[in-house]
This record gives sequence, structure tokens and C-alpha cells, in this order.
Amino acid sequence: MFRSFHNSLTRAQSKLMFGICALFTVIILGLLGLVAGYLVSIGVGSLSWSFFTELPTGRPESPGGMRHAIEGTVILIALASFVGIPLGLLVGIYLAEYSKEWWLAGPVRFIADVLAGVPSIVVGILGYELLVVPLGRYNGWAGAMALAFIMVPIVARTTEEMLRLVPNTYREASLALGATKARTILRVVVPAATGSIVTGVMLAVARVAGETAPLLFTALGSRLLTRNPNQPFPSLTVQVFTYATGPYPEQKRLAWAGILVLISLIFVLNLAIRYMARRPGIAS
Amino acid sequence: MNQSMLPSVTLTTATPARPRRPWRSILRQRGWHIGADTLLALLVRGSAAVVIIMLVGLLWVLAAAALPSIRTFGWSFITGTDWRPNELQVPRKGPDGKIVIEDGEVAMDTLPPRFGALPVIYGTTVSSLLALAFAVPISLGAGLFLVRVAPKLRIAGAISFLVEFLAAIPSIAYGLWGLFVLVPFLQGHVESSLQGMLLKVPGLHWLFYSTIHIGNSAIERAIPMTGRDMLCGSLILAIMILPIITAVGRDVLAAVPRVQIEGTLALGATWWQSSREMLRFSRSGLFGAVMLGLARAAGETMAVTMVIGNSNQIIPSVFAPAQTMSSLLANEFAEASSPIHRSALIEVALILLVMSLAFNVTARYLVVGTEARTAAAH
Repeated sequence: MFRSFHNSLTRAQSKLMFGICALFTVIILGLLGLVAGYLVSIGVGSLSWSFFTELPTGRPESPGGMRHAIEGTVILIALASFVGIPLGLLVGIYLAEYSKEWWLAGPVRFIADVLAGVPSIVVGILGYELLVVPLGRYNGWAGAMALAFIMVPIVARTTEEMLRLVPNTYREASLALGATKARTILRVVVPAATGSIVTGVMLAVARVAGETAPLLFTALGSRLLTRNPNQPFPSLTVQVFTYATGPYPEQKRLAWAGILVLISLIFVLNLAIRYMARRPGIAS
Repeated sequence: MNQSMLPSVTLTTATPARPRRPWRSILRQRGWHIGADTLLALLVRGSAAVVIIMLVGLLWVLAAAALPSIRTFGWSFITGTDWRPNELQVPRKGPDGKIVIEDGEVAMDTLPPRFGALPVIYGTTVSSLLALAFAVPISLGAGLFLVRVAPKLRIAGAISFLVEFLAAIPSIAYGLWGLFVLVPFLQGHVESSLQGMLLKVPGLHWLFYSTIHIGNSAIERAIPMTGRDMLCGSLILAIMILPIITAVGRDVLAAVPRVQIEGTLALGATWWQSSREMLRFSRSGLFGAVMLGLARAAGETMAVTMVIGNSNQIIPSVFAPAQTMSSLLANEFAEASSPIHRSALIEVALILLVMSLAFNVTARYLVVGTEARTAAAH
């Protein structure tokens, strides 16, 4: 009698905990729906063609558009990618293909992991000290380099993981045919993993596209359309922050629209990443 | 027709073709032999060295820039509660405690700027721990669901994608949502009704009143319920670290050997009993996932800056505005008033960096060896 009571108690407890776990999953998805729902519904209402084509007017009641910020973000990402992606790829190749050099590969892998966890605002301060102080003013280069700093560990670690998935037989076959190590890596191993390496690169781009904190003291943001990285440089995220924390309702609407554009970009990148990751990159 | 099938007569009479890589043959003529192998090895080793330089440089640059502040304030920087970037004029007091009057005017003393980081260290610690308290149970529950239940329902892929997308939403977007949705909601619906309920409970007075000491008198003041406070900051942080803990926790739980689960089920364990066994089996990895969440919460900037109220003070109530290390940097760094102010801010950044490095190193040490490592790197 007591035993079966205990049993039913245990079973009830199990059902309860199961229900709680399911509830928690629903809560997470609900939060996503709540956040994304608000961002989309208010953002779509504030979005218009002039958002993409017009520049800030300086008048709070009709603030114009964000063309300068969109272009600024694209240029910043391009500059950051130009430095961050090649460097990340080379480090990834080193970690995967030269890992016998434990005295260097071990520490480098550990440091790449650690760098991925550095708070982005601290990276902004590094950019300030190294590129803003010597040049004497806030500038686009500093912002781009801060973003590149954030990209390197992400690209390096995903590249390493992806290269490790290439079967060793590929390398052995290539070496057995008389190819040098460099030729093996560049013509056999890397091409076999290209699809998934591109995934890692897009992950890094998606990550820095939404970064605000490292740009606050480096690129600073600007109301002007500029293509000169020696000047304070506009970016979508900093412009959204300025408008959102400012007092004018019309500018706040622009901030919502800006966030919607950013989120859509990141959502599309994520879908693409998922699609590419599902395709087998390596023919087996 | 294949070129190589042609008679070779034409080839012998042709002028020698220009070498495809002229620089290499030039080097070779001078006795330098640099193969592609050496070149690539040099290139990748150089890049690997750059990664080390990045970390060392980061620590070096911050430490050098923080040095004036470290020299000036020493340990009092960490224990001090005053954050006053500007000079302060106070009336001079005589030995009898009365205000000194010279030439018919109140004599003033100028106090130099003072910097004490304790309020922001407190703010970061409390907001991160509160965020963990909200997020960890939900994340681990959802992780269990994703590993044990969702695959049977064929929804694991979809849920995982949504969780990962939640992780990819930038900080500034959460900040915007927090500022325009969560803050008004807390202010209008939650905090006032909480106040109504909790004020009747004895011993909770401190949640709604703060005491200010001016000289010898203490003034008690009701904390205004603005919605921009420690509670809101912690909630936003919790929402932001949910996906990372869920994703890493899911991968850690998925790495539990099948036999382990089947063994408990064969012994007649219920769903929850075997789940508990899974949690116990992978506890170090799960702790690593929590540490990763903590590291992210501590370093998070934009969303917190927008909702936490930005006030350098230590008030124990969660309904009072606060400031974290990162929000202090975001608010003051670009407009720092003096070199020593800037140096003090960089010292705050250095403390923040060392703290989050410690969390990250612990986390990675604990998560190593499971599939979750890849997820953790993102």
C-alpha cells in the first residue's frame, strides 16, 4: 500500500517535471515570438522607401532616412572582412593542418577561444587607444579594425572545425601522388570544406553586423554620408542607439525601422547558413 | 584535337615561354629556394602568432592606459563608492565644525576628482547573478526537452534553429525592445502591484525605500518605480543568455552516452528520474554552459545600458536604478572629461576583461571534450 503510493507520487512528480520542461521550452519560443513580433510589427509600420534613399535632415519632426548608416555599415563590414577573414582562415588552417606543433598550436587554440569571449566594448577601447588616439580623431578605420578583431577568433575556430571534418584519406592520397603539403592543403583539403568554411565566415559577418559597443568610441557614428574612413563614420547600429535614446518620437520610429532591416539581414544570413550546413560539404 | 598530339617540331623552334612566376625564378637564380611549402608554413605560423599578439596586446594596451589611475588610486579604486569625474567645491569647515567665512564670503575647498568602482562592480555582479537565476532553470529544462522529447516529435531541428536565431539577434535590438516594451510594462503593470503586495510583508521595507546620509542625518526616500532599474536590466540579460545556455546545455546533454539513459530506464526509472541522472552525469559540462552565460552577461553592454537606469550607486533594492561596468563605459568613455577620468574608465575595462576571461577559461575547461565546444566558440 505504502509502496504503490510512493510509486504514484514518483510518477506524478515525473509528469510534473516533464510538463515544466515543456513549459520552459514554450517560454523561450514565446519570448522569441514576443521580441521578434514587436520588432517586426512596429518596424514594418515605420519602414518606407525614403528610409533607404534619404539622408538625415537634422530636423527632429521629419528626420529623413538612414542611407548614410546603411552604406556606412556595409563599408565597415567590408573593411573588417578584408582583414579579419583572411587572418582567421590562415589561423584556422594552422590549427587544423599544423597541429603537430603543439607548442604553438595549443596556446593559439586556447587564446582563440578566449578571444571569442572578450566583451566587445573592451575591444572598442583597444581600437580607441591604438587608432583613435594616434590619429587625433574618431575614425572609420578604428571601427573596422575593432570589428575585424571580433571576426578573427570566430572564423579561425569554425575553419579549424570544418577542416578537421575532411577525411585524412584525402590528405594521404594527395601526398601519395607527390603533391607538396601546401598544394595538398590549398588544392585538396580547403576546397573539400569550402561550403562549411563559408558558413563560418557568414556567421562572423552576421555577428559583427549587429555590433554596437565596439563602434561607440572608434567610428563614433555620423549624420553625414561619408566614404572617407579617416572621418567619424556612420553605422546602422550606432545610429539606432542614438535615435532610440534620444527624445524625438519620429527618430524612434526610424530606430525601429533600422533594427528591422538589421534583423532581417541577420535572419537571411542564418537561413543561408542553415541551408549550407545541411548540404554535405564533403563527398564521401 | 589535343595540343600534345601535335608534332613537337614547332615546340623546339618556339621562343621559351615566359615563366609563370617570374619572381620565383629570379629568387632561384640568386640561390634562394623558397617553395610554396615554406611560404604557406611561414604565413600560417605568422597568423597564429598574430592571435597571441592580439591577446597580449589587448592586456598590455589596457594595462598601460590604466596605469595612471592604478598609481593614483591603488586599492581604493576597487573599494571606493564615489564616482566623481569633476572637481567638487565644498564649503570649508573650521576646527569647530562651522563654515569658515572669509571677507564676507563662504570659503570654498576644491576636492579633486575621485573614482571608486565598487558601485559598478556591484552592478555587474548582481545583474549577472540575477540573470542567471532567471535563465538557468528555464534553459536547462528546455535543453532536456530538446534532447529527450523534441526529436521524437520531429521538431528538434525547428526549435534549435529558433533558439540559435534568438542568440543571433543583436544586443541593440534587445535594448530597443527592452526600452520601449519591457520598461513601460514593468513600470505600469508589474512594479506598482508588486509594491502593493510586498509592502504589507514585514521586513521588505528596504525594497522600496533607500536611505541617504547627509552629514549626520539620514533621510529615507521612496524609490520611484520607473521601470529602468536593476530588475529590468537582469530580465533583459536573462533573455539574452537563455539561448547560449540552452544551446550549449543541449549539446552537453546530447553527449550523455545512450547506455547511461537506457540503464536507468531498464531499472524502472521514471522520465524525471532518468533525466536527473543525465543532469548529474553531465554536471561539469552544464556548469561550463552556465559560466559561458555568466561571461556573456557580464560583458553585455548595449541592452543593459538602455534599461538599467545608469546611476552609480549601491542600493540593495532591485527596483533602484544601477550601473554596470560596461554601461558605465558606454555612457562616459566618449565624453571623458580629463585624462585621469579616461584612465579610470580603462581600469574598469581592465577589471571587466579579467573577470570575463576568468569565466570563459573556466567554462571552456569544463565543456572540453563534448560536442558543445563548437557551440561554445560562437
